[in-house]
Formats: sequence, C-alpha cells, structure tokens
Amino acid sequence: MELIELARRLSGLSGPSGFEGPVCEYVANYLHPFADEVYTDVLGSVTAWKRCGKPGAKTVLLDAHMDEIGLVTTGVKDGFLSFATLGGVDPRMLPAREVQVLTEPPLYGVIASMPPHVLSAEDKGKAVPADKLYIDVGLDRQTAERLVPPGTPAVYISAFEELGEHQVCGKALDDRACAAIIIKAFERLCAQDLNVDVCCLVSTQEEVGHRGAKVAAWTAAPHAALVVDVTHGRTPDAPQVVCQCGKGPAVSIGPNINRAMAMELLALAEKKGIPCQRKAEPGGNSGTNAEAVQVSRTGVATALLSLPLKYMHTPVETVCREDMTACVELVTAYVENMEV
Amino acid sequence: MMLDTMETLCCLDGVSGGEDEVRDYILERVMPHADEIRTDPMGNLMVFKRGAKIPDRRIMLCAHMDEVGLIVTDITSEGYLRFAQAGGVNPQVLLGKRVHAGPQRVPGVIGCKAVHLTTPEQRKTLPDLKDMYIDVGASGREEAEKLASIGDLAAFDDTVVRYGDGFVKAKAIDDRVGCATMVELLESELPCDCWFVFTVQEEVGCRGAAVAAVNVEPDVALVLETTTAADLPGVEGADRVCMLGKGIVIPFMDRGTIYDRELYNTLRRLADENAIPWQTKTRIAGGTDGSSVQRSLGGVRVAALSVPVRNIHSPASVAKIAECEAQLKLVRLFLEEMAK
Repeated sequence: MELIELARRLSGLSGPSGFEGPVCEYVANYLHPFADEVYTDVLGSVTAWKRCGKPGAKTVLLDAHMDEIGLVTTGVKDGFLSFATLGGVDPRMLPAREVQVLTEPPLYGVIASMPPHVLSAEDKGKAVPADKLYIDVGLDRQTAERLVPPGTPAVYISAFEELGEHQVCGKALDDRACAAIIIKAFERLCAQDLNVDVCCLVSTQEEVGHRGAKVAAWTAAPHAALVVDVTHGRTPDAPQVVCQCGKGPAVSIGPNINRAMAMELLALAEKKGIPCQRKAEPGGNSGTNAEAVQVSRTGVATALLSLPLKYMHTPVETVCREDMTACVELVTAYVENMEV
Repeated sequence: MMLDTMETLCCLDGVSGGEDEVRDYILERVMPHADEIRTDPMGNLMVFKRGAKIPDRRIMLCAHMDEVGLIVTDITSEGYLRFAQAGGVNPQVLLGKRVHAGPQRVPGVIGCKAVHLTTPEQRKTLPDLKDMYIDVGASGREEAEKLASIGDLAAFDDTVVRYGDGFVKAKAIDDRVGCATMVELLESELPCDCWFVFTVQEEVGCRGAAVAAVNVEPDVALVLETTTAADLPGVEGADRVCMLGKGIVIPFMDRGTIYDRELYNTLRRLADENAIPWQTKTRIAGGTDGSSVQRSLGGVRVAALSVPVRNIHSPASVAKIAECEAQLKLVRLFLEEMAK
C-alpha cells in the first residue's frame, strides 16, 4: 500500500487515547506479513520485530503513536450528551462539530452550537468552554441513557482530503501520518540485509503522557531509538513557528535528543539529498515519546524526527506529502546505515 | 421523496449572490410542470402553475435559494485566502471547518494555530474574522491564485447525514427545505393556481424577494422557511425559541414582520384540524423574506411556515425529518383552503 493511502486508512480509524482498539488491530494485521514477530502489549501498543540474524546485533526502535485526541461522555442531559476532553482539545473547534460516539455500533452526533441570540454581547466573540457544550445524538433521554453509558469515548468525524497538489488534511494525522511513515520504512527495511535488529513500535496513550511508549520501550529494550512525531508547521497566525510544511522533516536538537544521532541524521540527509530542517528543543521534554524512551531502563540514545503539521489537534490537521516521503527516506537511510 | 429533494438541494452551492447551481437544478426539475417561468436580473426564479381553481386572491409561495457562506477577499503572499461572511455566519462555528471555494469547488480548511501555541486567554476568545483564513494547500500566492480568486464564494462541507430518531444534518437546510417543499408541490396537482418564487439574497437582507414580489404581484404570500432552535441544555424557557420534535413553527412575529393575523389563524386552525403538530416562536428573533414581500407594492398579506433548525447558519445544521414533511403537508392544506 502506498504511503498516503496507508495514512488515509489510519486517519479514518477511531482510536482516542486509551481506546485505540481499531487502530491497534489494523496496524498489527498490516505488519504481520513481513515482520518476524508482532505483539500487542497490555496497554495496546503494537510492536513488530525484524531481526538481522547477526550475533550481538544492537536494536534500534522506531516509534510513532497511534492514539488521537478525543472526547469522553460524562452523562446525559435532556437527551444530549455531556462530555470531557481526552487529550489537548481546543474548545474552539467544537461548536457545530460532527463526532462519532464510540458505542457498539457507533452513533453519529453533532456538538450543538449556541445560537447568537442566547449569547450576551460579551460572549459573542468568545469561545464556548467544553463543559457548556453537548453532543446531539438525536435521541430522547431514556434511549440516550441506555445506549451511551458515561465513559463512552468519541472522536471527530473528518474525511482525509487532498488540499492543493502537495498537502493532505484530516483528523488524527498527529500521529498516524508518522505511524504510516515508520510502518512504510519498516516494510522496506524488512526486505533488506541489515546490521541491526529493528523494532517498529506503534504506541498508545501518547496524548495523555507518553504512557504506551514508556512500557513498550521497556519491553523492547532498544539501544537506540528514532521517535517520529509531528511538530507545528508555520501558519499566518503563528509566524513565530520555525518549521514549515514542505521543507522536509525536522531534526530536533536539544537535551531530549542524542546530539550525535541528530548530527548523523542531518549529515545523512545532506548526503542523500533529502530535504530536512533543524529544530531546537530547549527543554528536557520535547513533548513527544522521546521523553519516555530516552530515560527507559538504563537510558536510550534517542533522536526525534518531526513531520511539520499545521493546525495540530484540530479535525483538519494538514501535512505535506513530500515531507512524509522524505521522512520515510530519512528513517530508512538511517537504519540502513547503522553499523553492527 | 421530499427529503431526497431537500438533501440533493443541500448539496448544491448557492452562497448569496451565487445561487446559479441551485436555480439550474430547480429549473430543470420544475420546467415540465410549469405554466409560466420568469427570471429577473437578480436571479430570482418565479414559476406559475395552474391548479383546479382560480383563487380569489393571487397566491405566492416563497423560499430562498441562497445560503450563508464566505467570500474570498484577499490572497496572502503565503498563499492563504482571507474572507468575509456572506450572510450571518456565527464566527464560533468557523474554526477547523471544511469549505470549498469557487466554481471549481477547491477544497480548503479554515485554519487556526494549534491550541499548544495559544495563551489561556486566547483559548477563551475567537480570532477576529479578519484574521481568519482558508488554507487551500498552496505554498504561496502564485500557487493559490491557480486555485482561487478574490470574489470566489466558499460554501461549507456538503455531506448529509440522517441520524438518531429521525434527524437530518446538512448545510443549507436554511432554506433548501422550503425550496424542496415548492419543488414537490410543483410536481403535483394543485388545488388552485399558485406562484412559486425561489428567491436570491435572503441572507444578505431579503433583497431578491423585494423585486420578485413586484414582478408577481401577489395578494397573499406564504413564506416557507426555517428558524433557529435553541432547545439545548442550559437554555430555558422562551430563549429556546422553538424545539425540534414539537412541530412546524407558525410565527406570529419576528424582527422583520408582524405576520398577517388572519393567515396566522388560518394556518393554526388547519394544523389543529389535521392533527399536524405546530408551535410558535417564543422569541422575537430572526426574519424572513416576508419582510420584503409584505411591504412591496401596496402591501401584501404575509404568513410563514418555518422548520425548526439547530445550529442554523453552520455547516452542521440539524432538522427533524417529520417537520420538513409537515411543512409540505400544511402548505398543501393551505392551498386547498385558498381554493375554497
């Protein structure tokens, strides 16, 4: 399957943090035919192995997360569903938003918007806080209470769509676009003679604190890791953002990243003519799974490769196709290049 | 049948000032059933059909073809489209929504910098409309200009969903439901002669109806419309305006019109006699083409029949299917009454 097609399929699945089941199943099935081993751990993360067969070979871990932000219902009021947010949801995205409530089978819903006439003049220019909003599932109170118990997750409905010639947009591209990237890189690496064992980890619960990667990295016990996640792409209302869509993946540099690995990625990109950009990460926490992986067990040499993405945590996350392709190239080249 | 027609109409684009697509479709549907067809320089479509009787008073039914949307006002050097509202769109429903712009229906999204990049204060407010933008996936002005032009109209995403206990979600239910009612009537036998006026530019000030009424010279006009429903948790009493599931709305007054009392009483009586659930508006809000028609010529008797709609003027407006069908049923009874 082509990279963009895989991203499209993954984007279309429902898997908010803690409820990644459908994504987990799809990823495990996809990896199964070409991996030496695939397993799903207790937190739902999927790990696939390609062993090089060379004695004493080191292990490199590729990570991207499968969970997306979402909502979780907290009750029923007048037939409408009250909800809390799951991960970093921007409340301004919610009014008149279509969602899928993840009952079995799922229910369609619309987050109702307050008409302007019931808003005070002062409230009109304001965002409505999430706790004042409700999901309309078109049911009466009794039916809604029966079908939707509190704690039912929900995700945005948003089709994967092409924007112009170079960009694609959809929900959950943070981080399923990168899940598609590492899966495609892993698929290519599986067909090659390598000097290292490769472990492809598609992890859960990143959006609520890098929880899936923490335990999966423990189990995998890698020597080195390449975490692939998204980073903000520059937009007109965020001109201060350094990374730009269309300029290739960003190689992060800072305390959360092994500097030698970062330099090697940059050198390799230059040598192979793969576009890439630099990103400074000043803190010990890059806000990605690199934070959990770097301090796993006795420490892991960890690099962070980021796909520039506009409108993070909205239903219209937007990335550049060429950046995705370049990211696959760079991940693949890096692992191919690793010595015993 | 009526619902299918409405859904088809909702998927067409007709932002105020660009109603052509809607008009073309309606014209094709009604042409075989019309006795006379008129258009005017503004784009109104006026269709006359003979019925079993010639009524004492000339009757006009009226629904507007236009919908609220956006108009492209500028293209930035970075390739983003600036826009203004065409009609009253609540800015709270814009962020992170999909639109398609111009005759080529170029897909775009209304971007907004990621929640991570906002201050807590910014998350509680909305950007000014002038700072919002549409992203069509262009990397600069030149690329964007190939996709869109200043003056292009942009309409909301056009997927239709039936859900819950007899609800339908679509853009432009305001007022394609009225258009659908008139198309269905035109395709049936009528109890009396009737003019069907499909107007333009209702959303920008009931401008089309003003000239169409002069053209048709009605004695009696019945406006087929939608009206805002705020039947949401947290909104009490009269502020709810009307409620989905409580029946078709027969308004006595809104901000544009004090409806003719004789016609108002007739409609109420017909609904009661035929067991059609109805309600009136509990808040003097909104307006209809009735305002223009009533004060045209030497004065016209005007009434309205409105379908309650949640999230009106948003990409995800919601109506109860039974109430769309009730509009058609009650208009038919009204024409029978006029034929007496």
